[in-house]
Amino acid sequence: MTPSGPAVTAERLSKSYRKWGRTRAFGTLKSALLGRSLSTALAPSEVVAALSDVSFTVARGETFGVVGPNGGGKSTLLKLVAGLFKPTAGRIAVNGKVSALIELGAGFHPEISGRENVVINGVMLGLTRKEIERKLPEIIAFSGLEDFIDEPVKTYSSGMYVRLGFAVAVHVDPDILVVDEVLAVGDEAFAHRCLDTIAEFSRRGKTIFFVSHSLVLVEELCNRVLYLEAGRIRALGDPKETLAKYRMDVAAGEGTRLATEHRKDQEILLRTRKREEKSFLEGVKGAEASSAGAVLERTEAHSPFEEETPSPDASRKQETQQSVEQPLEQKIPPVTDEKARRWGNRAVSITGCRLLDASGAERYAFRSGESLTVEMSVEPRASLEDFVFGIGVFTPDEVCVHGSNTEIDGFLPVRLDGPATARVTLPRLDLGTGTYLLDVAVHSRRETPYDYWRGACRFQVDSPGRDAGLYRPERRWEFSGAVSVSAR
Amino acid sequence: MLKNLAGLWRHRALAYVLVARELKARYRGSVLGYFWSLLNPLLMLAVYAIVFAVIFTGRGPATSPYAIFLFSGLLPWTFLSSSLTDAAASLTTHGALLRKILFPAEVLPLVAVLAQGVHFVFALPVLLAGLVLGALGVFGPSIPLGWPLVQVVPLFVLEGVFVAGAGLLLAALTVHFRDVKDLLATALSLWFFATPVLYTLSDIKQERVRALLRLNPAAPFFDGWHDALFYARWIEPPRWGLLAAIAVVSFLLGYAFFDRLRDSYPEAV
Repeated sequence: MTPSGPAVTAERLSKSYRKWGRTRAFGTLKSALLGRSLSTALAPSEVVAALSDVSFTVARGETFGVVGPNGGGKSTLLKLVAGLFKPTAGRIAVNGKVSALIELGAGFHPEISGRENVVINGVMLGLTRKEIERKLPEIIAFSGLEDFIDEPVKTYSSGMYVRLGFAVAVHVDPDILVVDEVLAVGDEAFAHRCLDTIAEFSRRGKTIFFVSHSLVLVEELCNRVLYLEAGRIRALGDPKETLAKYRMDVAAGEGTRLATEHRKDQEILLRTRKREEKSFLEGVKGAEASSAGAVLERTEAHSPFEEETPSPDASRKQETQQSVEQPLEQKIPPVTDEKARRWGNRAVSITGCRLLDASGAERYAFRSGESLTVEMSVEPRASLEDFVFGIGVFTPDEVCVHGSNTEIDGFLPVRLDGPATARVTLPRLDLGTGTYLLDVAVHSRRETPYDYWRGACRFQVDSPGRDAGLYRPERRWEFSGAVSVSAR
Repeated sequence: MLKNLAGLWRHRALAYVLVARELKARYRGSVLGYFWSLLNPLLMLAVYAIVFAVIFTGRGPATSPYAIFLFSGLLPWTFLSSSLTDAAASLTTHGALLRKILFPAEVLPLVAVLAQGVHFVFALPVLLAGLVLGALGVFGPSIPLGWPLVQVVPLFVLEGVFVAGAGLLLAALTVHFRDVKDLLATALSLWFFATPVLYTLSDIKQERVRALLRLNPAAPFFDGWHDALFYARWIEPPRWGLLAAIAVVSFLLGYAFFDRLRDSYPEAV
């Protein structure tokens, strides 16, 4: 009854699309008739490869997952499996009746009733009219649209549309079910029903071709996973390994993007800082010029040039400065950039902030449990002995995940004479999946901010499991008494 | 190609539901519904009857009463031109379907022709009523009425096959050249005047022009319609042979062309 052999065999499958260039506008019938032959007019000006050299087999009864970034070739592969497109090169053999849930409700006519559309859709998907008439009550019940089934489809909500489409597609009773990201629509209850149906198909030994961006679902449902990137097989096999590879690639890509963004952000902030500093110094000089000469001398100590060559009496001068620091501070308006992301009097400035992984490489995407090092570069305007370095980790909605500083962690400041770097390592980043913002700060022990930089770095954490929450500790379960469990 | 043709027969159920859908959707929401299929030709007949009784008078006795003569050619022409217009647009308007569901694409232009065929069949009672009134002398000199009317059936089938072939060709072309749709409107009006719908070929006095017009593959069909409906004459077997040949050649050529470009539709629509 059911055919034997693999359900789907792809051998060196390639598919390219015609890319119509500028000449397309002129490649019309007029020009074809007046000049070139028809075949020339139809020839593509350029070709884009959507799939190249993809080989795999899907055994009967297998649930086969396909993952990959947008434009990776997933949809093209599905259309080849469904027989909608023909391969440019290579071979694809599909053994059995395919029902594709590529776009549910494709072919519904808005003007006619849901019931009539079910009949038409069913016939389009390969049922005879008798079969569809017989299954009609079941389909309508499954869709849960009994009350609306005789209304024209144009009055349906998009969710209702999809439910009806799904109901028809699963009742076609295919040998191979092609599912493309359909569970993203419809409400929670219907999504569960869809998943149950898919699981039921699997139990009945049907082959399922499952495409989704929900990696958790893919991991849960699939026996094997194909990871496509730029039309090529990046990985194929065990779901855990393949998905791990995909996650790593995504994290690496995210990391590159975040690093670029981070660099841009810092450049902008450093530029504003230089501008502010300049106008601040000019402002102070202007203000001091009108008052006593002694004060002028003191202000000059602030200029970075003198700090380059610390003289023996520099420290004495510094002491004098310390004593008069307070009144000067009051004159200084808190320095803030346009986004109010940075403030402080800049007695010490943060000149850079980077995140490093365990190997010391700069990175902004981490796996949960990895080590993370925050490195901040600082530069004092003048030598000082009162400084505290701090970090704070926040979620994008401003929940503090962690905050600490050198004071809390038991370090006493001794001297900061010039450009310096402070690093703090968090050996295990036990955070849940998400984006986090890092604040870095230098302030006095009495918490007068020198430079407080809100969201200096943004980083991404990806965790493999489905556990909830910000905190992702290691877990160890133990059971005793009349209970038995087994590992999945 | 032959295998695909055989496959087409298996999809007749699909063609059936799509034609039904086309008709249902067209009249959904209108008060008179299917009556429009009847009413439209009736109104058309009324307009032409008035125009040719009051404004354009004084035509030869061979085509008198002219309103009935015109009507017997105009309905089959409407079938031809509407079918071609719909068929040409069929693949591009149902592009979403072609990209998502696997079914033989030729169903779409054929459904367009079939749906127009149904409209034609609905209009036949009006045509018959017109002929009866014509026979009673309501529009002027009375016309003969008789058994040659049954020739309407094979004429309709053969014209349908002829139109289907042309429709397949146009549908395939439209996918790659959207210009066809625009060009088609003009081409159809030129073709209308080059076809003996408003006149008979014997009206044409210049021998050369007549010879040229005889090359028009649609001409024998309209000679046939006039004979069957207006003159109540039997069409001779050789003419039937010619009609059948034109229909089959048109269909095979159109289908072959359509079949050759088949794989390009899901991507190009």
